[in-house]
Order: sequence, then C-alpha cells, then structure tokens
Amino acid sequence: MQLIESLKIKEKAYIEKLDNGMTVIIIPKPNLDKKYIIWGTNFGSIDNRFIMPKTNEEVFIPDGVAHFLEHKLFEQPDGTNSLDTLMALGLDANAYTTNDHTAYLFECTNNFYEGLDELMDYVQHPYFTDENVEKEKGIIGQEIKMYDDEPSWRLYMNAMDCMYKENPIKIDIAGSVESISKITPDILYKCYNTFYNPSNMIMAVCGAFEPEELLKEIKKRLVPKEEQGKIERIYPAKEKEINKPYKEIAMEVSTPIFAIGYKDIEGMTADIVKKHIAIEILLNMIIGKSSKTYKELYESGDLLSKPDADYEFSKEYAHILISGKSNNPIKIKESIENAVEEYIKNGLDEEQFNRSRKKIYGDYVVEYNNVGDIARMFLADRMKGINSFDYIEKFNEVTKEFTEEVLKNVFKKENMIMSVVKGN
Amino acid sequence: MQYTKNEIKKGVTLHYINTNKFKTNLYAVFLAVPLDRKNVTKNALVTAILRRGTNNIKSQDLINMKLEEMYGASFDCGIEKTGDNHVMKFYLEAVNEEFLPEKEELTKKCINLLFDIIFNPLIENNGFKKEYVDGEKEHLKQIIESKIDNKRAYSLERCIEEMFKDKPYGLYRYGYVEDLETLTPQNLYEYYIDLINRGKIDIFVSGEIEKGSIENLVKENEEIKKLKERIADYKIIGVNEKNIEETKTIEEHMQVGQGNLVIGLNVNKKDQNSKFVASVYNAILGGGANSKLFQNVREKESLAYTAGSTYKKQKDTIFIRCGIEIANYEKALNTIKKQLEDMKQGNFTDEDIENSKKLITESIVGISSEQDAEITYCYSQELANEFITLEEYIEGVNKVSKEEIIDLANNTLIDTIYFLRD
Repeated sequence: MQLIESLKIKEKAYIEKLDNGMTVIIIPKPNLDKKYIIWGTNFGSIDNRFIMPKTNEEVFIPDGVAHFLEHKLFEQPDGTNSLDTLMALGLDANAYTTNDHTAYLFECTNNFYEGLDELMDYVQHPYFTDENVEKEKGIIGQEIKMYDDEPSWRLYMNAMDCMYKENPIKIDIAGSVESISKITPDILYKCYNTFYNPSNMIMAVCGAFEPEELLKEIKKRLVPKEEQGKIERIYPAKEKEINKPYKEIAMEVSTPIFAIGYKDIEGMTADIVKKHIAIEILLNMIIGKSSKTYKELYESGDLLSKPDADYEFSKEYAHILISGKSNNPIKIKESIENAVEEYIKNGLDEEQFNRSRKKIYGDYVVEYNNVGDIARMFLADRMKGINSFDYIEKFNEVTKEFTEEVLKNVFKKENMIMSVVKGN
Repeated sequence: MQYTKNEIKKGVTLHYINTNKFKTNLYAVFLAVPLDRKNVTKNALVTAILRRGTNNIKSQDLINMKLEEMYGASFDCGIEKTGDNHVMKFYLEAVNEEFLPEKEELTKKCINLLFDIIFNPLIENNGFKKEYVDGEKEHLKQIIESKIDNKRAYSLERCIEEMFKDKPYGLYRYGYVEDLETLTPQNLYEYYIDLINRGKIDIFVSGEIEKGSIENLVKENEEIKKLKERIADYKIIGVNEKNIEETKTIEEHMQVGQGNLVIGLNVNKKDQNSKFVASVYNAILGGGANSKLFQNVREKESLAYTAGSTYKKQKDTIFIRCGIEIANYEKALNTIKKQLEDMKQGNFTDEDIENSKKLITESIVGISSEQDAEITYCYSQELANEFITLEEYIEGVNKVSKEEIIDLANNTLIDTIYFLRD
C-alpha cells in the first residue's frame, strides 16, 4: 500500500489500487470510537450520455437515473432492504448522489465487519424489477416535490442556468417527475454494469483500523468482475461565456435570497489545489467575516449573516457561488464587484492576506476532527484526482503573487451572474 | 470520557472534558434563565448584541480579525430552549496548539477573548452601543420573520407552539417582533446586568489541555473575578406537568407543493426510567429506516419521502413528521394512527426492540466522537441535576422490556395534529 502523510497535522493515509482497478483509501484514526466507510462510483447526474465499454453502444439516459439507481440498490431479491438491515445492526447508513458521484456509506462504533458484509453485498448485487422500479417513482416524486418547495435549491438551479447554456450540471440531480417516469429496469442495469465496475469505484475508510488487515477483509468481499475499458462520457462542448447575467423568481420567502456567481472559464488546471486554496483566501478577503465589504453590508442591514462562498469544480464545470439573504441583492452584487475591482487595481494587502491564510489553514485542520468528514473529503477529492493532504502540504506555496494571478483570471466581471428568489 | 466539574463560585461552574480525539479545543459558556414571555425577545437580542463588540475590541470586524489571526478560531453564539430554560450559548473553537505551524499561546487567547465578548460588552452612555442595538433589532426581526422559509422546520415550530400554548415551552426562541419597539440601549443593558447576576453560568473546556492550567486561566481572568455569587435562577429539567386535553387539529394554508404533517404526542412519564422506555418506544415508532413509520408510511404505502419521529426527552414529547402529497392527508394520518395503535397492542417484535436498542446505543457511544455533542450531553445532565454516565445510559436503555414499552404506549396520547398545506 502506498503511504501518504501530512507531518504538519500528524495524519496518514494508505492507498491501494487493486487488480480490478478499484482504489481503496484507508485513513487510520486510532483514538476514535467512530468508524466511517464510504464507497463511491464516479457516476453522477451529469453523466447522461456515454458509450458502454463492452458493447460500444451509445446510451442516452433520462435525467435522474444516477439518483434513482442509488435508491434502488438497497432493494434485495428476498424483499428486504439493505438500509434496514444496516440500521438493524445499529449503524448509521445512508447514500447520496451528487453531480459527479454516487456514494454508499455507514458510520458505526460497533459491528463494522457485519456492516461491511451488507454494504459490499448490496452494492455488488443489483435487483431491479418492473414492479420495484414503479414503486420507487412515487417516493422519488415526493422527494422532487420537496426540493421544488425549497427556495435555496431553486436558487441554485437558476444560478446554474445563468452560468451555462448547455451543461449537464443544469440537470436536477433527482430528475423531474416526467423524466423519472421513463426509467426502466433495463436502463438501470445498463448504467449499473457500466459505472459500478470496480475500475470506476473508490472506497474510503476512516477509523481505528490496521490498514493491511482491513484491506484483506475488503478484498475477501469483492465479487470478481471482468475488466472493462474506459467509459467514454459525452458532454456538450465547453462554453466560453455565461448564458445570462440574471434570473429572478418569486416564491414564499420572507427575505429575498441570492446567489452571485463567477463562472471560471479556465476550470480545472494542473495546480488546481493551489488555485482552490487561493480562491478560498480571496473569498475570505472579499466577503469573509473580517472583510470591509461584509462589515459595511452588515452595518447597513443589507446582510443578515455572512454569505456562504464556495468554489465548485470538476472537469466539466467550475464556478464560484456566493449566496445569502438580503433585501437588496443588487447592492450586494455591486459591493462584491467593487471589492474585486479594488483588489485587482491595488493588489492585495499583505497583512490582510496573511491573516486570511492563517484562517484558511485553520479551517483545513478542523476538517480532520470527524471520521465522516475525513472519509468523504478523501473520496470526493480522489474522484477529481486530488490528494486531500495537498491542501495542507501545498499551503505554503500559495503566495500573494500567485493569489493575485488567480484573482485576475477567475473574478472577471463579464463572467458574473446572479440568481434571486424574491418573496411573493 | 474524562469529565470533571468544579463550582468556582456559587452559581458559576467550570466543566472540563479531557479528550485527545480532536485537532481542536472547544470552549463554551452557557447562560440559562427560565423561559418567559416577558424576556424571551430580550434574551435573543442581548445574545446578538454581545457578539458585536467589547470595551477592548470595539467592533465585530476587529473581533473577526482577531479570530483569523488565531488560525481561524471560530466564535459562534445562539439561543436555545432546553426544557423550560432559555439558554444563551457562546462557543469558541480553535486548533490545538500542537498542530500550529508556529508556537503560540492560543488557549489563553481563546479563554480571554470568549469571556471578553460575554462579560465585557461595549458600553456607551450607560447602555449598549445604539448602532449595534438598532442593527441587531433589524436582524432579529428578519430572523423571526424568516420562520416561514423552511416549511419543514416551520411546521414543527408551529406544532410545538400549538401544543404548548400559553406555556413557556411554546414560546419562539427568537422572540416576537412586537417586543422590539420598546427595547432601548439603556433598558436592555439594565436587563443584561440582571441576567448576568442571576443566570446559571456554565463554562466548558474540551480538549487536550492540562487541567490545572485551565483552571488557573479561568480563575485568573478579570471578568470571571468580577462575577457575583448567585443562587442561579433556572428550571431543573425533567419535571413536567401534563394536563391531558382533547386532541387539537390545526390546518394552515401556504403556497406549497408538498404537505407537511406534524403530530405532537404527549408521553406520560412515570419515573426516571421512563426516559429510557420512551427512547426505545420512539426508535421503534419512527427512529430510523426500520421504524414502523418509515416502513409503513414511506416504504409500503409510498405516501412520503420523509417519515419519522423524534423524542424530546426534556419535555416528554414525541413529534412525528412527514412530508406528504396533500391529497393523501387522510390516508397518511390513518396509517400513522394505525402504527400508534399497533404500539399499544404490542404488535412489534423482540427484534424490533433489539434493533432500536442498538440504534440508540450507537448514537450514545458516538457522543464522545463529537466535541460539541459531548458538551451538550454534560450540560443537559447539569440542567437535569443528575449525572448519568454514557455507560449507565446505555445500561438503562438495554434494560427496557416489552411490557414497559406497551405500558408507555398506552400512556402516550396525540395532543396536536398540525398540517401545512396549499
């Protein structure tokens, strides 16, 4: 097993690429009672068109299949549901689907290996029938309605619409009532056989484990599967500009909510970790708690609390989103625009930059408090080809000059968008 | 968990949790007073004003700069209802000195900053700074009004309000907009002084720090030295009087696509052990994916995406919550009632009981893996005036018998049915 280490925070991780192509990451945490395992496939809502490696058949699937498959995988031929079985062991089990991956997980203190039996059994044994697929449509239909009533979700989807003309990130993860009505067992099996091949999967485990021993236990439970070639995924061409600068809808909210975005045209570069750190430092300087802009907006009553600010990226999309609540979203956007312009014009203030760096460093260290946060982070980063420790280890390479470059390249006025949900 | 507590002054207690499981140390101060209509808005407002500035660090952005310098230490405050108490909570979390790139006395800085924010607010003209009071009033107004934004949370809040109408626990923790008008920098400051003098103060430190040094840092702090001894004014939790009335049904209309159904149940507690029985009862009814509600309302009938229940130990109540298709209201309600009836009849298996006990045990064992959960656990014991270790708690849960569950089911009644629809 390959050992990677962060001496600064005294953490280690062991990584093994198995013969069948699956990657296993083990992060030992000898002091903790909790254990966390997450098994993910690189298949998310954006993967709606692909070529099956074995047959060379091009497949176009309805929106929401990855998420639907996630729900259905729990169902067993004997009528039991694996989620129930895991819960019956006293484990906290769950699954989720994102834009670029689907993951199955549980957290526990006891019965880890019993849980591993069940997890590795159900993920490797799909069981889809006409009847059980039909039944799920009712449950997922309710889930979709729940999201439709969620102003923050609509806000996010509209922000994506502003940013991209044609990009699968615009697809609702759960699909629509209409799109899921087209899902059949055949579609689910095609996707399963393509994306749930070990070569497309990563497992991350965190807790008090002896790595070699755990690896042996994992290997024992793997069903032998044929090696499959690379999955070719077909996405629309990358766009050089935004779709539209503004979108607004009305819903039942007391205070308008907003999402301000910068589309990052350049996207994932070779030094993506450094770029990501730089963006986080910049966001803290632009609209973080100690920023001049936040202070002014808070004092004028235009902001209630610090907006959330994130950089979301994969090979297919990259953007910054700053979202919050305000009675005056336009003013927030202008203030951010002005702050960025000022930093570009005058350069970054040395003292403020160093302070922000310290804060972001602290934030990264705190991530290592919780087994779930650690395992999820290693999985999500690895899906993008990133070693999570790089956020700590490469920290010192993020200089003021480098950060200023990122500022100029990413925070461009012409790539700015805003989505607003107003009250009725 | 290595836990010790020490009353450093009458009514002011220092709790210390020694743990090496985290990269951070967590410092917390809780100030508790009885919930009451007269003061509920004031408590919320004072909490918000305190974070704005101290006599040493006069504004929030300066506080935030200081926090960033301390490797992104994070300060947070909030207000909660715990039983019939209104608790103002202040937290500071910072990286343990061991993991800093350079050596620094971070612990001392944290303790001093936290106490400075709570006990040494910026004062001008015998009152809080007017600008801060006005700003926070506006913010609080928005927070109170934004109650409707999250329909799920709103529905639960409304059900609690109806269930505890005219009782302390029915109060909204952020207070009421109509109170704000009468509050001035001066009368609020006067109220704050009273609050600090009579409230129950609990200080928590969790992390890997030498105990003696912590005690010294706290005791030697100027703000702590200034605190008066007090007979703390708070309500011991776990003592609830219940008058069983008829079931109330409330229906409210809003522009929603999904209906939110919340049912409040009253658990009639017999003795101290009832809390263990009730938690097992709740786990079987709606605790997880194996529960009757999840299985029958969601899985078998496909009526809902969310279906479950939560047990609020401090108030001996259980809340059932479902997000359902509006047209399915009757059907969902009947399915839920059927599950309650099944509980009364003992229509559940030994396996259900065992699974539920495991579920609860897991969550109790897990408490020590989260720094704030551990503090919250110790604090709820403190307010209940008892101390049950995590092990004793698990033992209590494991002793629960089927007969006790059936008996409790027959002493559990629907108090309020709340439905939010279009």
